[in-house]
This record gives sequence, structure tokens and C-alpha cells, in this order.
Amino acid sequence: MTQQSWDELGGALSSAEFRAASDAIVANIEQVIEGKTASVRLALAVLLAEGHLLIEDVPGVGKTKLAKALARSIDCSVRRIQFTPDLLPSDVTGVSVYNQETHDFEFKPGAVFANLVVGDEINRASPKTQSALLESMEEHQVTVDGVTYELQTPFMVIATQNPIEMEGTYPLPEAQRDRFTARIAMGYPDSNAELAMLDVHGARDPLFALKPVSDANTVRRLIATVRAVHVADPVKQYAVNLVTATRESPELRLGASPRSTLQMLRTARAVAALDGRDYVLPDDLQNLAVSVLAHRVIPTADAQLARRTTDAIIADLVHRLPLPHERQRSPYDNRPSTGDGRAQYDQRRN
Amino acid sequence: MRNRHLGFVAAAATLLAAAPLSAIYERWTWLIQCAVAVALIAGAATLARSLRAPLWAQLLGMAATLLLTLTIMFPSGDELLFLIPTPDTFSHFSAMTGFALDDMRSYGVPVPDRPGLQFITVLGVGSVAILVDLLTVSMRRPALAGLPMLAIYSVPVAVYTTSVPPLPFIVGAIGFLWLLAADNVDRVRRFGRRFTGDGRDVDVWEPSPLAAAGRRLAVVGVALAVLVPLAVPGMTSGLLTNVGQGGNGPGGNGRGGRVDLFAKLSGDLNQTAVTDLLKVTTNDPNPFYLRFGVAEQITNDGFKSLSSRGTSVNEGLADPRRNQPDDVRYREYQARIEVTEDFDMPMLPVYSTPIKVDDVEGRWNYDPGRQTLWSTAARSKNKKYGFNFVRADFSPAALRRAEIEDNAGPNQFIDTPPVQQVDELVAQVTRGKSTQYDKVLAIHQYFSEANGFRYNLVTEAGTSGSAIVDFLTNKSGFCQQYASAMAWMVRSAGYPARVAFGFTRGSQSGDSSDSKTWTLTNKNLHAWTEVYFGQDFGWVPFDATPRASVLGATRSAWAPDPDATEEPEATPGATTGPGADPTANPNTPQDEGNDEADLGAGLGDTTPTQSTWPWYTIASAIVILLLLALPAMRRRFLRRSRFRAASTPAGPAVASASGGVTVEVDVASAGRAREDAHAAWAELLDTMVDYRVPIDPTETPRATADRLVKNGLVGGPATDSARLLGQAEERARYARQPLQGGRLSDSLRTVRRAIASQAGRRTRLAAAILPPSVLLRWRLAIVEASIRTVSTAGRIRDVFARWSPRRLLPNRR
Repeated sequence: MTQQSWDELGGALSSAEFRAASDAIVANIEQVIEGKTASVRLALAVLLAEGHLLIEDVPGVGKTKLAKALARSIDCSVRRIQFTPDLLPSDVTGVSVYNQETHDFEFKPGAVFANLVVGDEINRASPKTQSALLESMEEHQVTVDGVTYELQTPFMVIATQNPIEMEGTYPLPEAQRDRFTARIAMGYPDSNAELAMLDVHGARDPLFALKPVSDANTVRRLIATVRAVHVADPVKQYAVNLVTATRESPELRLGASPRSTLQMLRTARAVAALDGRDYVLPDDLQNLAVSVLAHRVIPTADAQLARRTTDAIIADLVHRLPLPHERQRSPYDNRPSTGDGRAQYDQRRN
Repeated sequence: MRNRHLGFVAAAATLLAAAPLSAIYERWTWLIQCAVAVALIAGAATLARSLRAPLWAQLLGMAATLLLTLTIMFPSGDELLFLIPTPDTFSHFSAMTGFALDDMRSYGVPVPDRPGLQFITVLGVGSVAILVDLLTVSMRRPALAGLPMLAIYSVPVAVYTTSVPPLPFIVGAIGFLWLLAADNVDRVRRFGRRFTGDGRDVDVWEPSPLAAAGRRLAVVGVALAVLVPLAVPGMTSGLLTNVGQGGNGPGGNGRGGRVDLFAKLSGDLNQTAVTDLLKVTTNDPNPFYLRFGVAEQITNDGFKSLSSRGTSVNEGLADPRRNQPDDVRYREYQARIEVTEDFDMPMLPVYSTPIKVDDVEGRWNYDPGRQTLWSTAARSKNKKYGFNFVRADFSPAALRRAEIEDNAGPNQFIDTPPVQQVDELVAQVTRGKSTQYDKVLAIHQYFSEANGFRYNLVTEAGTSGSAIVDFLTNKSGFCQQYASAMAWMVRSAGYPARVAFGFTRGSQSGDSSDSKTWTLTNKNLHAWTEVYFGQDFGWVPFDATPRASVLGATRSAWAPDPDATEEPEATPGATTGPGADPTANPNTPQDEGNDEADLGAGLGDTTPTQSTWPWYTIASAIVILLLLALPAMRRRFLRRSRFRAASTPAGPAVASASGGVTVEVDVASAGRAREDAHAAWAELLDTMVDYRVPIDPTETPRATADRLVKNGLVGGPATDSARLLGQAEERARYARQPLQGGRLSDSLRTVRRAIASQAGRRTRLAAAILPPSVLLRWRLAIVEASIRTVSTAGRIRDVFARWSPRRLLPNRR
């Protein structure tokens, strides 16, 4: 198995090339998923941000279809795991089997050994099995029987799940959720899109006709391009402020992790690049905040009683948090200037 | 027991609130009496409460204590054991009250120690002490106790028509605040523990932040109450005059013991309504002025009246005709006067020179020197009396012959304080004149409009420190100043002179065949000068006040109107004697309210800053306008500098760099482009604030521009302009290379116009005159500065509080 080092990405693409390649992928997926451009672009952005995607919604809105369409649009190795309650961790990671011919144990790679791993209905497996993905998702490696196997680049887990209120589901552990860069909801298509879907999907599933428009190599170069996107200091500060705000919010019991800061900025880079920019805007962070942060945080009991979803809490935070100003301070920011939020937090704790 | 403490505070606060009374009294005897009374009352209250007496019993006890105190302090001599009041005591008290009312009428402030007044004072303060004690200690409503305290304060306010000194007010206010604070501390202590606003416990040694806020509020409130009136031009006369004026000139208030004409009349004169004071019926066809008072002593404080002397009118009056010169004609007339109840003085107005008074009730005396009727017991109110008088008709020729015997006559009327400017002026005015009459006439004529004198109810403040010099410099004043100044100058020339008070002729209200009836009101009150021309002529009146300005004024042959020498009707007066102007209709409406303030204040105490207030007003109006224009000017300056920045020719447009392809860009021009974009964006934000478009600090430039477009605030070409501004700003902030080559100033103009066109007229006006952006920024700056100050002060206070000895108290917390 050819192991490609994670850092060997190839040269960055020019903006025109980048646009052509990314637009092709988006257009390809949209042949299957109508009227969900934002979700599709976010999914692609997560791929380019070297993250993992969690698609959460009620059954039948096209979660799996999006995952498969993205996988098929890129000519790379794709594996699919149908998570069931009796799935075992070794089914995911791989298992060492005794080979009678060589009289030795031979490693049979599991489903994660692919560029794109589609984990369907991930929350139907037990937490034990779900946890099998932990190492691979964060560290891009799998350790079985004391041997560590590196995964290829790009590596992306696209998992779908039903909302946890649904029957027969196990909630994802926090550690698992934190490894997903973004969680998106498909939502119901609008009536036009649904009508169009009836026409297109009426005869046969267009997924089968989907041809790859890109390959792993191109994706690696796309990733390299995304990495070169410029992030100004105020934007970094804003990302930190956003994440800090989740930790200070009285409505949240658990705030977002530093890993989420990292992933949010990476995804923002990808989004900016997809948007044709070579710099990240606070707008990108604002648009991403709910997708990137909402599935990681845990609301307090009060907030839950008040039926506040984490999405709403994060959206509120975004609306309340002032932009860090490049110069000292916006004259129209009328809050008392008593240092940064962190200091306030510490003071209150004392 | 806490109540005891509160009772003590209530008594002390009452005494502090009585501090304004110090402005009324010359001495402090009243305070000792009041302190004794209040202390006794407080003691009685404490005793009653410690016996757990009900409220009515407390009240009764305190009232009884007050009664006993009054009985001991003001005994009638008929009390049992000098202590128990008898019916005689009460009649004595009512007599005291009567004395007090009399004293109030007859004394100007400050008054000497008069038993009647002291009685009233002790009674009043004692009653207030009872009320305050009841309200504070028994009913726990200390705020209400402010009302009786305010009643004490209203006394000097009512007496001083101009203004009262601020210090006693501060003392009284401190007393009231002490009362409130003591009550609240007591209230809070009932909870058992002191606490702060932020929920933290307070150590005993630590001042409570809540109380600190209260103290600050109290200080600010008192300071405002004292300082704000200073800032109002019309209200400054009293305080500023007291502070800034060296001494009173002529015409100042009389001192206690003698009736003060100025202070006495000020009450009547300060009412805007015209009140009928007298009705005169006389067969004199051209009556001159009615007189009732004279001020003849000149001191550094101005003219004031000496004590009246003389004999009872029943013993007969001297007739001046006994040694009449040949060319002075005397004619005898009768007059009858009805005084209304509004003219209440211990003197009766008469024409000069009365020779016989009849039908007058009460004991009246005649002062031959002053030619006035006066009394120590009777009052002029509602009196009806008749008198015969002779009117002298001097001719200038006769007066020129007048000589004053050196050792005879009222030479004490010559003394003046040495004022060099006046002496020089008199020498200059009387140069070349030989006789007394010519000199006096020259001085009289000096007060003409030709010399710049003008009648003015408000006088200008001078800087010379001498009221007469101020008047002679400013040449603006009313009858009091004219009369006093002329008297002074005549004295300076070496001749006796004095100031007479009385009424001008008034308006004719009835006309029968042989007599005319004149009605005199408070508008007819007047003052003029009298000059002594030797025993043969006596006191000859000269009225220096411009005739046209005084209602019912007349001129005599020997003292023609200096302003009317050209007028033909002034000359026939020379032959017809005093009041020589037959054509002058007394009903002629003249300068309404001219003498409102005439007698109310003398030359000296009417040198307030009032007359300069127009200039102050204009100056302050200009300053205020400038201050108001400041925000707009600041805004204009900001806008201009930003536009200049935004319209500087930026470098050539550079294709945006992407994908790691570096583009050669001039670093300096990039930096400038960045600054320009920031300036343009700041200007856009300010414009939005000016036109009341909300600003969201959480919004990115792109989102702001989108919002402007989405809300329809900008449209058409302005849409692109707004987006361009947003893009320029976001690239300046976040991109590697700023946007260059954009015409930001044009876009800014377009967007500004678009936003302005959407705003209402009032908003546009406000944006032009008082730009909210500038105001907001200033306000925030002020708020930040004050927050910094407060927190610094708090830190310093904490440091000091750590060294407070109260910290060592054993029972901390």
C-alpha cells in the first residue's frame, strides 16, 4: 500500500485553477443534491480543510447521498461503513489475521484505510465501535496490535447520523464529536428543488451516473492552496474571541476546545479559497461558527430546560461578539473596556 | 438606645436648620435661647419615650416644655413660682407677639435683640423642634421633617428680597442630611449587618460603598443648589454684590433702632401691582411733593436717617412766615389726606411746610428741622388727617442773596466722606459760580441728559469701590442715586444738603371748584435733594432726577428741569412758582414702574451686576453658540481630513494576489491605501451614526455594506459605492494587499448623499448642527475618563482604608 506522507501535497494551484477544480466538484455533487449549495460547499470546504464532516438530520433528506456524491466526485479510494449496533471496532480499523501460508499474522486493513470514509448512521453503533475512529480522525493513523499504520492524504470521514432523539441511537461521545470539524444539517429541500428531484430521481438514481471530476492528487493541491490563504491577526483574534465566548457563556456547560479554534480557522481558509479570496474574513468565521462549534458544546441544564439549542446559543454569541478592531477600539463599541474576556472570566471566578 | 441617638440628631439638625436666622439678627442671643429651648424639648421627648408614652403624650410633653421654657425666658412677672404660666402670662405672650409684629415692621435687617422678636424666634424654632422630633423619632419619617426646617429657612428668604447668604443654607442642609443619614444608618443596622451593593460584606472599618454613593450625591446636591444660582445672571446680585463690593455708598440701609426708609418701603415697592397709598385733597393748585422722611447723615455706608426729634403736634407748629424775606412769597393752603391700609409707617406725609395739623388720631410729633410728622406708637395706616401748610415760592434772585451763617444752621449736614473724584468734579462744575444758588444750580443742572445721565432702574456695577463715583461715572441710575449724589455734591461744595423722601404729585382723581384730589400710588414714591439756604429760606428742594422719567414729577422755578431748558413750557413755570408746569398732565403715562425700585434701594446697595447682564448674556450666548458649533466644526474637520485621505491618488490597481503568487506592490502605497480605506470607512460609520443608521460592532464591513443595501438606505449607484467601501475596508483590514485605485471619496459622497436622502428632516438637521457621531465619541471619552477617575479614587481609598484605625476594632464584622 502506497503511503503518502501527510505533508506531501504538491504545489498550490493558481486561483483560476483552484476555482475550476472546486467548481467542478461542487457542480458535480449538485447533480445529485439539488438546492443545497451551501451544504455542498461546506462539505467540500471541510474536505479541503483536512477535517471530517458530520451530517446530522432526520432520515431521508439526503445525508448519505451527499456523502456518497462527494466521495464519487473525487477519484480516490472510498470506503463505506454501515454502522450497526453489532459492528465491532476491528471492522473499522482492521484486523490481524493468521496467514497459514506465511505462518504469520497479516494485517487486513479496515474500512478507514481510504481517502474518503463514509460512515453511515454512525450513532447506531455502540460507543465502543464509534471510538475506533478516534485515533484515525485526529492523527491520521491507525494502531492495531501495536503497529501503527499511516493513512493517506486526503483522509476524510463523512459520517451521517440521526438526531439523538431518534430511536436506536447512541449519542456520540464528546471526544468523538470534537473530532468532527463541522456538523451540517441537510434540511428539507424547498418545493422547487423537491419537484426537480422528482424529475431527476424519478427514473433512476443519478448517483450511479456520477463520474469523478477530480482526483486525490488535485485534492492534495487544493489543500495546499487552502493552506496558503492569509489570515490577518484581527481574524485570528476574532476566532479566539469566539471560542473564548463559548467557554464564558453562562448558557454553556462545556465550551469549545482549542482544537475547534484550529479547525474553524482551517475551514474558514477553505471557505475563503472557495469564495475566490486569498484572505479570510470575519464573515467566514461568522458563517462557520454554528457549523463548527455547535456540536461540540454542551448547554447547561437551564438552557436545555429553556429549549435553547446549541445552534441558537452559538448564533447569539456571534451576534453579540464585537469584531476585534485593528486599531485600538471601535468608537461605537460602548462596552466598558476592561481588558479581554478571559481576564473578566478569571476575575469572576476569584 | 438608638432612639435616643436619633432624638439627639433631630435636635441638632433643628438647630443647624435654624442657622439661616443668623442673617436676621445682629447678635447671637437668639441662638442661645433656641439651643436651650430645643435641648429642653429633646430632653422631654427622650424622657417621654423612655416612659413608653404614646405619641400624643410625647407631643403634649414637648409642647408643655416649650411653654415652660418660654415662660421662664420671657416672664411677665405674674407666674406662680416663676414657672407656672398664668392667664397674665398668656396675655403677656400675645403682647410680645404684638411687639414682634411691630418690630418686624419697623426694623430693617439685621435686627437688634428685641424681646418680641426673640419670643417669636424661640416659639418658632421650638415648634419646629417638636415637629422634627415627632416626625423623625416617633414616626420615622425624617424626610418630612425637612418641611418644618424649610419653614425656618423661608424666614430670611422672605426678609431679604434680593438674596440670602449661602453659608447658613449649607449648614441647614447639612443638618437635614445628617438627619436622613442617621435615620438610614439606624434602619440598616436593624438588619444586623452592613452590606455593599455588590453583595460583598463590609468590615466595620471600611466605609460602605453604598453610603459613599449617598454622601457623594448629597455633596453634589448641596453644591448644585448653591452654585447653580451663581450661574444665572439675574440671581447673582446678592451674593456677588456681597462678595465683590467694598462698601455701600450713600443711601444704604439704616441700622437697627431707627426706621429704615429703604428697607421699609422695599416691601411695598417690590410688588408689580400698582397700589393706592394715599388720597390727597388740597386747594393748592400746583402742589409740590409730599414728604414723609429725610435722610441727612452721610457715612461710609451712605445716607441714613437720624433719630427724629420734636414735640407733639398738639403743641402747635412753627410758622416759617414769621421772618420771611421780601421776595419769598408764602401762600397758605389746606390739605386733607386719607391713607390707605397699604401705607403703614410711623410717619405721616405732609406738604412742606405744615403749620397746623388737626384731626389726627394717636400721638404724633412734629420734627421742625426735618418738617416731618413722626410717632413712636402710632402708624399711618388708615389715618385721615388734615393740615394747613404754607408753600414757599422762592425766586432765583432771592436765593442768590441767601447766606448761611457760619455758626448757625445745620452744619452737620455738610460732612461727607472724602472722595477725591467728587470734590474735583464739584470744583469743575461750580467753577466761575459765586453764589450758593448758582453753585447748587450748576450741580443740579449737571445731572442732565446732555451730560450723559440717563434714568435707569437698574444700575451698573462700577469698579471704583465707591458707589457715588460709580454713579457719576456710569451716569445711570434712578431717583435715589440722583438725590443722594446731588446731596453729596452740594455738601462737597460746602453747603448743607439732605435727601428727602416722599411722593410725587400723583394723578388727579377729583376736581372740585376750589380743591383737587390726587391719588398717590407706590409708583409715586420718590426721593429728591433739599439744600439749606439759611435761616430765611430754610430747606429748598431740588429734584435732580430727569422729570420725564418720574411719574408725576414737577419742577420749580428755582430748579428748572435741566433737560427741558429748550422747551417753552418750562419757562412760564418760573413765574408761577413751584410745580410750575401747568401743562404737565399728571396723568400722562410716563415710564411705567419707574420708581418701583427707586426707594427700595439706595445708591449704595444698588450697585449690582444686573445692569451689565445684557453683556454677560450676549457674551454667554456667543460662547454657548460657539460651544454648540463645536461638534459640527469637529465633524467638518474630521470629514475634510478623511475625504482628503480617501481622494489621494492611490497607486495603480493591482490584480489581487492569490494562490501564493506574489505581486510586486509598493509597500508604502499599500500602507497608504490601507489608511485611506480605514479613513473612508470611519467616515461612513460616522455618517451612519449622524443619520441615525444603527451601527453594529459585531458586524463586518461586508455585512454593514450589505445591510445598507438590503435596508434600502442606499440604492442605484450608491449600492456599488457602499459595497466598494466595504470591500476596501475589509481588504485593508484582513487581506495581504489592500484594494487600490478605488475612488473612495466619490463613493463616500454618493453613499452619504443616499443615506441623507433617506433620513428625516430632523435627523438631517441634527446631523448638520450637532453630529451625533462627535457627541457620542465625546460622551464615551468622558465616561471612560470618569470611570478611570472613579476606579483610581477607589484604589486610593482602599489603600487608605487599610490604614484606618477602625480596622483594629475588636469585633470586626
